Amino acid sequence: MNFSTQTSHALHEDHRAILDLLGRAEQALVRAPRGDGARTPDLMKLMAALGRSLEHDIDRHFGFEERELFVRLSEAGDGGIVALLFEEHEAIRAVAQELLPLTRAAAAGTLDGAGWDALKRDALEMVERQVAHIQKEEMALLPMLDDLLDDETDRQLAFDYAAS
Amino acid sequence: MAGVNAFLGGAKGRLLPAALVFRYFASALLFHALAWIALFFAAPTLPGFVGGLGWPLAALHLVTLGVLVMTAIATSLQLLPVASRQTLVPSHWPYDLVWLAFTIGVAALCAGMAIALPALLGAGALAVTLALLLYLFLLARNLYGARGMRLVIVHGWAACLSLLLLVGTGLSLAGAYSAAPVLDRQTALTLHVTFGGYGFMGMLVMGFSYILVPMFALSDNPAPRWSNLSVTLAIVALALVLLTAVDVLPPRLFALAIAAGAVAFLIHVALMLQALHNGMRQGLGKSFVLVRLGWAALAVSFFVALAWDYQTPSALPPGLFVVLLIGGLLTLLLGVLSRIVPFLASMHAATGMRRPPTPSGLTAQRPLDIHFYSHIAALVLLLLSLLSGTVWLVRTSALLGLVGALAFGVFFVTAWRRMTA
Repeated sequence: MNFSTQTSHALHEDHRAILDLLGRAEQALVRAPRGDGARTPDLMKLMAALGRSLEHDIDRHFGFEERELFVRLSEAGDGGIVALLFEEHEAIRAVAQELLPLTRAAAAGTLDGAGWDALKRDALEMVERQVAHIQKEEMALLPMLDDLLDDETDRQLAFDYAAS
Repeated sequence: MAGVNAFLGGAKGRLLPAALVFRYFASALLFHALAWIALFFAAPTLPGFVGGLGWPLAALHLVTLGVLVMTAIATSLQLLPVASRQTLVPSHWPYDLVWLAFTIGVAALCAGMAIALPALLGAGALAVTLALLLYLFLLARNLYGARGMRLVIVHGWAACLSLLLLVGTGLSLAGAYSAAPVLDRQTALTLHVTFGGYGFMGMLVMGFSYILVPMFALSDNPAPRWSNLSVTLAIVALALVLLTAVDVLPPRLFALAIAAGAVAFLIHVALMLQALHNGMRQGLGKSFVLVRLGWAALAVSFFVALAWDYQTPSALPPGLFVVLLIGGLLTLLLGVLSRIVPFLASMHAATGMRRPPTPSGLTAQRPLDIHFYSHIAALVLLLLSLLSGTVWLVRTSALLGLVGALAFGVFFVTAWRRMTA
């Protein structure tokens, strides 16, 4: 994807980072044994990283979009896309809410076999929702910012996002 | 559904109502099954078919108009406003009218071809023309108001002009059965096949691939230098075909047109493969295996056309080129549809639920797998039947194709039912 605003670039880089992490988590969980089988230290580290991302990145990224971009897009007449993306944010937050305690327990080594199975199920759902959501944002939201933001606003928003 | 349609279908939204888009897809899938049934009846005459009314022509147009153009209309009317950042036509009646006239028209046209009834064929052709001209207006409106996506827009305009030629030559060919042709048959046929297969469908497929492939693979857009070269060569190729067909340029330049088209397409495919390879999302499943097979069949179609132009292989059956071109487009399009249907359905299923269904939750994987293997087997058998001139192979191919079409229908209905549940 090629975008002309700094804000788009910043969000695009975030997408890239989260997809990389989710991709690694997906592959590791698909390969991991089911139930009470032994888990490698690498997998537990990866779950810890996933937990940190769920805790901080989702709120930061979604919060910025909802606060700074969705309002502007709605005012510009793009309420339909905004409503759709907002519903997806809510769905992803709901999955994250379930997944976060499981990743913490996994990182701490206190998760039982049933817990690992639940973690895998929720993590794969998170991957699918995030991928579909990012596809829509990359196709629809980020290109719209080229029209929506003037240079000054773009600079300010990109700075605020980097500082958050 | 009422809630989601209220904001998605609003005058300022960019998404058409689910029922509208899915109606087009449902019609396409119905025609898909009918096409394989028509092929079954066409079996005795297919190996030596060189034209004329009958089941082979009906089967061909059930695929080209019924499946390919029907899906292209729905996809372009939905995708362009989203990709090019503009609002839809506020009222939905033009979309409904296009669907109604086109569906009735294709049914009448193909029935007229199958039972060799020129009056029915002519009535169908007029309804199809009306629908396509209205669609052309909607498409041109979207292209005219488009912002960004210059490459897609250029492909879109080339597809628009190709559609005009497709409709004009189609009317001339249909008129020939009522003794009212405008162009001589060979000229009309050359332009009809070229501007239908490569001009309208080919340019739309290439244009939308520049949106959809990077989107699904989450990759960077292809290098403008190469994509610009590809579209320029494609337009030059189409212009050369037109000018040689109407005797403005010498016929020997027809081979140059095919070569330019082949290079344009191969550059495009190379760019798409690069996007898939470099994308953030790898492993796009069987749907993209179909897409790759479609690309391969289309690429081979250029070389068969070139061989024909040099009149070297009289052993090549006439239907081989058509199956490679139309089968390639169909395979590619079914691969894309198997991705788009759950994707679109999941967008429309977001009815205020905290956790609406995911695309995989809306996908019936087993029917999709059955379709995958049946479709590939059907096309391979069809190619073999043409090369060997064997009627029972055509029938087996048609039955396998029908199994695949029905399985794809089950996948589609399942997605719809889960979306509206």
